[in-house]
Amino acid sequence: MVTCASMTFGYGKRPLFEGLDLSLEPGSIYGLLGLNGAGKTSLLKIVAGALRPNGGRVEAFGREPGARQAAFLADTAFVPEDPWLPPLKPAAWLERYAAFRPAFDRARFARLMGELSLDEGKLLTKYSYGQRKKFALASAIASGARTLLLDEPTNGLDIPSKAQFRRILAEAAEPGRVVVVSTHQVRDLESLIDPVVIVHDGKVLFSLGADDLAGRLYGARLRSLDGEPVVYAERDAVGWAALLARPAGGTEGGQAPDLELVFNAAVAAPERLEAALAGEPLPAYTPAAYAVEKE
Amino acid sequence: MNTDSLEKKFSLGRVALLIRNRAYDDAPGLGIGLAILFGLNILTLIIGRTAFMNESPEETYVAAIVLAGILLSSLAFKGMHSGKSGTDWILLPATPLEKYAAALATYLVAFPLAASGALIALSAVLSLLERLAGGPGNAIWHPFTLGTARDYGEYAAVAVAFLAGSATFRKRAILKTTGLAVAYVLACALLVYAGLALLYGPASGRDFSVSYDTGVLRVFGTEVADASGLERIFRALVDGVRLALVPGFSLAFGYFRVAEKEARDEVQ
Repeated sequence: MVTCASMTFGYGKRPLFEGLDLSLEPGSIYGLLGLNGAGKTSLLKIVAGALRPNGGRVEAFGREPGARQAAFLADTAFVPEDPWLPPLKPAAWLERYAAFRPAFDRARFARLMGELSLDEGKLLTKYSYGQRKKFALASAIASGARTLLLDEPTNGLDIPSKAQFRRILAEAAEPGRVVVVSTHQVRDLESLIDPVVIVHDGKVLFSLGADDLAGRLYGARLRSLDGEPVVYAERDAVGWAALLARPAGGTEGGQAPDLELVFNAAVAAPERLEAALAGEPLPAYTPAAYAVEKE
Repeated sequence: MNTDSLEKKFSLGRVALLIRNRAYDDAPGLGIGLAILFGLNILTLIIGRTAFMNESPEETYVAAIVLAGILLSSLAFKGMHSGKSGTDWILLPATPLEKYAAALATYLVAFPLAASGALIALSAVLSLLERLAGGPGNAIWHPFTLGTARDYGEYAAVAVAFLAGSATFRKRAILKTTGLAVAYVLACALLVYAGLALLYGPASGRDFSVSYDTGVLRVFGTEVADASGLERIFRALVDGVRLALVPGFSLAFGYFRVAEKEARDEVQ
């Protein structure tokens, strides 16, 4: 289990998190969503032990990341958005670095290398951006770490690679493991991430499970928003892509809520989303009042 | 390495793995350096029938080890500061103390031993080639002398300071550490000068000078009685600072820089 309690962190005098609380249970793939600069990467690095919080408490499976004990570091795998790899071939990399992780599963790593079509005879520095991401992902999954932190893992992957990635990530979600995926591209991972954690203005704005979302919200394409229980809507070529609140007692009908719309609703209209999740009536929707400010 | 060792706060097994990885990283550069030395010696052998390093081996071989050791020490924590590899460096499953201890063991123990072995072999090969070329066939250099032991002490004190410099400075650590050392020596010299001026304040019209010649110490024109006693105290003070205080401070400072390092680069 990973917890952050009243955690504060900032760069210089600029605060990024002020009293952030978060609790992540094993067995789930958490989707960490936030605007650019919201602190997704920093949060992952704090949980990994690469950054230290200014205050509050952070723990991962009973250990404090900032203490950087070997047992903690071996039990945590962080895959950055642009992974760095040394000028070695995979076999040499294994000899040098896997030795620090006693739980590293070499057979699983070899299988993942094959599945991801990674060339074992090539220097890691000669790998493309996507190949480096795949290699880092394979090594993180095979590491045996119980905390797996992935920063924008689908960024830069081609379409077949994204499908491969989803299959491998689904395999990585083991009962005793916490997987956290930060992403801008929620549609790439919509079928996998549950729950969704939305970070905004230095706090966790929402932590939403798939059941909560499906039970309270649904998506629809509408020509007009009049009379609809709109939580949030965006204009498209046809009319509106809308996130709607289910009427009290209603649990069926409509499309599954689009995570991108849920995220935009959380950032632009948090009070409406909160009311919809609580089953409360929504005031009339005025599109101009809820434009998402891109940073 | 087994799972139990992960619970240890300090594992010699992990330190050994870190030293091994450093050796893998440094070996190609050292091999090239050795090849260059060999090439230069062959050149002087062809021209003058003698390998230049074998002519005054006490200086040249020791200087080669010291310079290479200082260069390597000043690069020891380069990866830790890098925006890309820094996060991996920090998150490699070993404690900061193990990572720092491995750097110390590598550049204070493993490197001097390995370099000495390589240079004994180089000296032997050059000596043989000298004989074959009809030259003097100088004696083979070896480090098993009292002078080399003293040189090692000096090297260790300097290498520790350069390791601390490498842990502190993100770029050009060798230049910045050297600059700091020069500034430090100048500050010490000024302090000594100011102290002498206080003790033996110059009378008007006398030079601001300190001279020490054939056992006679003159400070601002005044001959100091018991100059040898003062010299002993001064030397003890300088050696204490140079060989104990500065290395001790560097050791602690370097360790804290490594332990406190965070991956703050390339983070939004």
